[in-house]
Amino acid sequence: MKIKLTVNGKKYERDASESKNLLHFIREDLGLTGTKEGCGAGECGACTVIMNGKTVNSCLVLAVEADGATIQTVEGEAKNGKLSKLQTAFKANHAVQCGFCTAGMLMSSRALLNKNPKPTVDEIKHAIEGNFCRCTGYTQIIEAVQDASGQLKKKGGLKRA
Amino acid sequence: MLQNFGYLAPKSLAELYAVLKKNSGKAMILAGGTDVLVNLHNGCMAPTTLVDIKKIAELGGIKYDKKNGLSIGAVVTCVEVAENKDVIKHYPLIAKAVGEIGSPQLRNRATIAGNICTGSPCADSSCALIALGASLELSSADGVRTVFLKDFFIGPKRTQIKPEEVLTRILVPADMAGANFGMNKLKRIKGHDIALVSVAVAKTDKVMRVGIGSAAPTPIVTKDLAPNASLKDTLAAVAAVAKPIDDVRASKEYREFMINDYVEQIYSDLFNGKGR
Repeated sequence: MKIKLTVNGKKYERDASESKNLLHFIREDLGLTGTKEGCGAGECGACTVIMNGKTVNSCLVLAVEADGATIQTVEGEAKNGKLSKLQTAFKANHAVQCGFCTAGMLMSSRALLNKNPKPTVDEIKHAIEGNFCRCTGYTQIIEAVQDASGQLKKKGGLKRA
Repeated sequence: MLQNFGYLAPKSLAELYAVLKKNSGKAMILAGGTDVLVNLHNGCMAPTTLVDIKKIAELGGIKYDKKNGLSIGAVVTCVEVAENKDVIKHYPLIAKAVGEIGSPQLRNRATIAGNICTGSPCADSSCALIALGASLELSSADGVRTVFLKDFFIGPKRTQIKPEEVLTRILVPADMAGANFGMNKLKRIKGHDIALVSVAVAKTDKVMRVGIGSAAPTPIVTKDLAPNASLKDTLAAVAAVAKPIDDVRASKEYREFMINDYVEQIYSDLFNGKGR
């Protein structure tokens, strides 16, 4: 089926297989491999993208369902080769270890900051509850989001959950 | 790539009924897709056609009026329900229950109707809706019938819905608007997890009911209790319907203990005048 969609501000028109999910479409048909496939079943959040302003697990959306949609992936964060403030905060706060969850974490954090520029720690935890990280223990990720929103008072000061 | 299937997106109910009739038993309705795509991924279902109902305007919207109560369309997502002003004002138990479903990513896509039609014994929305005495509007080319949610489930993942039918709207009675309530969900972690047990209580000045999830082959509800029923009578009504089993997530005894504990906690909150 022919679909039209906007990804990171760029318009695409492609013939998408009915039985392809949005995740595979983004990676294979559009060549944007920043979005990762973890579980493929909506548990881990590695494939999170922002679709029409809301985070979705792209493994649980069919490409054909995204016809007409506006999508943001991790590739939309950096501009002209320069990391976004959120990405820089992830880097500065050691919020990336193996990096597999990072694209999804950035998208959930981005959607949160779009709606709520000064989120509390609880709001950050709530926003990333659908994103699994098996390396960092989450503390550094939460601190990175606090830092990106200008709220980090002391690095490493966050009490472990 | 998932297994091969066709994709149809009818734009009206009439068109949908025709599609369902033509593909009877081979079509699968696609709303939020958060269960359907997982089942396709795992190979647990093999429909020849997915019928996307999100383009049907009649299936959208949340309506409320004092006389008829609340009506939630089949394609309304969990987030839309949780953020709806009428739901928050008149049926806060529903807002609380849908907020318990999955993760933000899932709530942004998943529909309440899908949470019900999946027929899981642990469905978070069902536990609350069943306590509120909700009913479902099931429609097909042959007409519309309304069934109580408590009668809709016939076993784990099995419901009364026929292959040619579609759940069009979820109806919550007007006399349950403003019900006092409490809900507790037991999980292994604080974040996104499925219920080990869940308990929802809805109480008006006329009736009190307890809805329970993960405690029987289907979501269940107690008989109608008097609004001033004693804790003993409430626990007895719960014990009469709650028949939890041992499984990989929890033992029967743990579930029984936690159901009673939650009922006691909510009861004590409700009768000291503070809801949760």
